[in-house]
Amino acid sequence: MDDPHWGFIVAAYLATIIILSGLIYWIVTDYRLLKRALAALDAAGTKRRSDGEKG
Amino acid sequence: MNLAFANPGRFLALARIAVPWVGTVGAALAALGFYMAFAFAPADYQQGETVRIMYIHVPAAWLSTVCYGMMAVSSLGTLIWRHPLADVSAKAIAPIGAAFTFLCLITGSLWGRPMWGTWWVWDARLTSVLVLFLIYCGIIALWNAYEDPARAGRAAAVMTLVGAINLPIVKFSVDWWNTLHQPASVFRMGGSTIDGSMLWPLLTVAVGLTLVMLALHMAAMRNEILRRRVRTLGLIAASTEP
Repeated sequence: MDDPHWGFIVAAYLATIIILSGLIYWIVTDYRLLKRALAALDAAGTKRRSDGEKG
Repeated sequence: MNLAFANPGRFLALARIAVPWVGTVGAALAALGFYMAFAFAPADYQQGETVRIMYIHVPAAWLSTVCYGMMAVSSLGTLIWRHPLADVSAKAIAPIGAAFTFLCLITGSLWGRPMWGTWWVWDARLTSVLVLFLIYCGIIALWNAYEDPARAGRAAAVMTLVGAINLPIVKFSVDWWNTLHQPASVFRMGGSTIDGSMLWPLLTVAVGLTLVMLALHMAAMRNEILRRRVRTLGLIAASTEP
């Protein structure tokens, strides 16, 4: 820990954590919102023609 | 296999199983690589401890070009083969590639300040990677500029293939021009110039983050398929409203 540049190393790994967690959070949140929107449309009885053909 | 999973429904079933497994194995490998990098890899004789930034900077740089390569292949799939999942794949990978390119630029800058004495220099490698990031941003903006995903897909595919000319410039910029950035030291003719004590942690992180990227790509593709279903159902709901 005697190296004078540890601050740069810590900053690089903090940036990595922030950017990758932000990316994961965005994808997971997007998935949940889309599933909720699909459930709402399904509850309202909206169906695609292909869904109707399947039965 | 390519055609078997061309069906979005089949892809969703595959993604449900693959995303958690690939993501977890990738995160575990990356964590192991970082542990090896900090616990066992020595400090560099010139860079000192600052070399530890390389264990994230180099994989981020690789993934920035790998993601663009995947986006270019997907764009060919859109324009030539009209593969049903090609533009879904291309759209899903763009923000992931942009994130890794941004990470590459940030970590490179944090390494450059103590090693070169500057945060930034307009040399060919740094500038071409900045251009790569701007191309990613342009493609993401183009995707959002069209209401119809099919039209957006074709426009983004053309822009992606035109922008692919930047990939060899990124790779060979250190050979073609006199740059401050060092030349290739891992994938080069004559083999790697890095000692095994540093190379193995680097490769472990790189493989781990590649698997994480693939898991994120599949998850983002799943989101895009669901988004298109929501759009279609929303249009049907709007058209049947009294």
